[in-house]
Amino acid sequence: MFSNGDEIFKISRLTIVWLAGIFTIVWMVCWALGIALPMLLTQQLGDKAALTNEILRAATPVIAILVFIPINAMFMVLIERRALALWTVRKGPNRVGPDGNFQTAADAVKLLLKEDITPTGADAVMHTFAPILFFAPSVFGAVPLLAAVTNNHPLFRVLNLPTGIFFVLAAGALPVVALVMAGWASNNKYSLVGGLRSAAQAISYEIPLVLSLITVCLMAGTLDLVKITEQQAGGILNWNLLGGGALTGLNNALAGGGAKALATSYFMGPISYVCAGLLVISLIISFWLYLTGACAEINRIPFDLPEAESELVSGYNTEYSGMKFAIFFLAEFTNLFIVSSITTVMFLGGGDNPIPPYILNNIPGIPQMVAAIRDSYFCSTLHIINPETFFATLWVIAKVYGLVIFAVLIRGTLPRFRIDQLMAFGWKRLIPLSLIVFIIVVFAREFVICHG
Amino acid sequence: MANLISRAFGGLNEVRRGLATVFKHTFREPITKNYPDEMPDLAPHFRGRLALTVNPETGDHLCISCKQCERVCPDKCIEITSHKSPETNKLELIDFKIDHGLCMFCGLCTEVCPTLCIINTNDFEMADYSRESLIYDLKKLTLSQDESAFYFDRKEMPLPKPKPAKPAPAAAGAAPAAVAAKPAAVPSVAAPGADAKPETEAPEAKAPADSKTVEVKKPEVKAEVKEESKPEAKPEAKAETKTDEPKADEPKADEPKA
Repeated sequence: MFSNGDEIFKISRLTIVWLAGIFTIVWMVCWALGIALPMLLTQQLGDKAALTNEILRAATPVIAILVFIPINAMFMVLIERRALALWTVRKGPNRVGPDGNFQTAADAVKLLLKEDITPTGADAVMHTFAPILFFAPSVFGAVPLLAAVTNNHPLFRVLNLPTGIFFVLAAGALPVVALVMAGWASNNKYSLVGGLRSAAQAISYEIPLVLSLITVCLMAGTLDLVKITEQQAGGILNWNLLGGGALTGLNNALAGGGAKALATSYFMGPISYVCAGLLVISLIISFWLYLTGACAEINRIPFDLPEAESELVSGYNTEYSGMKFAIFFLAEFTNLFIVSSITTVMFLGGGDNPIPPYILNNIPGIPQMVAAIRDSYFCSTLHIINPETFFATLWVIAKVYGLVIFAVLIRGTLPRFRIDQLMAFGWKRLIPLSLIVFIIVVFAREFVICHG
Repeated sequence: MANLISRAFGGLNEVRRGLATVFKHTFREPITKNYPDEMPDLAPHFRGRLALTVNPETGDHLCISCKQCERVCPDKCIEITSHKSPETNKLELIDFKIDHGLCMFCGLCTEVCPTLCIINTNDFEMADYSRESLIYDLKKLTLSQDESAFYFDRKEMPLPKPKPAKPAPAAAGAAPAAVAAKPAAVPSVAAPGADAKPETEAPEAKAPADSKTVEVKKPEVKAEVKEESKPEAKPEAKAETKTDEPKADEPKADEPKA
């Protein structure tokens, strides 16, 4: 079909097999700890098992995250290298294992076995704490996201916070401290410059990032991640990316409400239509602002100034090796994953199917299939698959990894910013733009009935 | 303001074009070659390792010790030792040394060579562990009959006239038959004869042959030479497989001569 069909086939097979593997493993761990073991204990011990069950339920999500992060980072590094190779017209890793698919596993083993060096004159305590402080927020920052990305699965429901997105943003702002710490403690001028650059960059880009998310929260009327996802259910027209509910009236009209639904949603006539259009444009700009800010926040190309290899010899992690470097590496990719998850939840409707239900339910076979899965032994007795959350989670996985691949595509395309361009772009372009978008949304949402 | 907006859209459009271009690369064949697994397809006149050819038909060494290559070499990396034979009054080659660590592969020596003896082969895998082992002597430089035939064919060089043909008119004039036999015999015993033997047997056979010669001069280097001779032998084997020269033919061609 294509001249490069072989490589494309390899990379898609790798993605599907690895993702299926990762999520099966993680889900089996969750299921064993959170569902199967409590069920067994209740059968055997009766009421005495209540306390143990509570502890198990609380521990399950954390263990799930801890199992998930390393495997996922390994997969993401591999897929990034392969995709970059595909887009720069070369071959990716092809030495270790079949088609080089064990490359990252070998890298991980190498990194773990490597000598851990603390340079002379470095502050040993800070040098050790920096990677931990860098990694920790990506673990506990991911926790409130779990309920949202699994469509409020009962196992993860306890973790949901009423101020979810606020918590996630707070956690996401912490790694900057770790980077400055790492740079300062390394006793290396390159590292120090890298750390300071990262501080400057993170402070500048935090503002448009947060403002773009505030715009979404304003449309949604809540900070609760689960509520934000639930509002967006019902097809692509309901997503926050497309107006944050400004098109809900259109969606309802298409679903069968007719002109009446249009009239209730857009009660001001032409003004409402104009405002709905403005909202759609604002939210799309908001989406791009968020992607840009997030790229800068997690130090990815084109904003990888803190670790610019050609300028700063890898910046803040110049002096790190072995386990500590592995943790930095792990956290970087986990951050990318978390940022993609936030984008999915806030803008892309979380686990929502882009095809609206009034089309989907009319396709022959699909409702029957869902019903068959619901009645199967796995669902009704063993609770391995929860049909309410299963398809939602699949959609989340597809969207999140789609965004990850998009980040890789951006990495393959755009060159790095210069530091003054970076600052000018952040302060003189993105922040005013996000403020303008915010103000437009504040006024325009009064003339349209939307989520909030 | 309008300028700013148009610039913003222009910039976004550039980014979109860039992303589209990069994405289109998905459907392109990678340009990477699997080099150690697959040999690159080199041009016939690729300037690789220097080597001395023999007459592909008779096996006579083609060097006439004219020292033109030594004179033209900008790096002075060629060193020829020869003496005037008292019987024939002609120059006889004793040793031919090229320091490949100095050579810059300009190919001037191959251009001046009147007998097409010194050539650039297509072999470029010459990495070694010491500078001394980059100095190739006559035995290391001289190609076997088959290799010479291959390079004469590949570089489309005119085949040299057989050497006995030259003394033949001379013999018809005045010189006795012994003179005619001498030039043919001396090089074949001195260089290609010694070289052909290890070529007939696999690289293992070459190791003892090398070490024997070195043993006389400095026995302490013996073990080192043994090790070195193997990687040196490998590229040749590789070069042969890559160039589709049937390796099985080599012993057959050399056996009747030996």
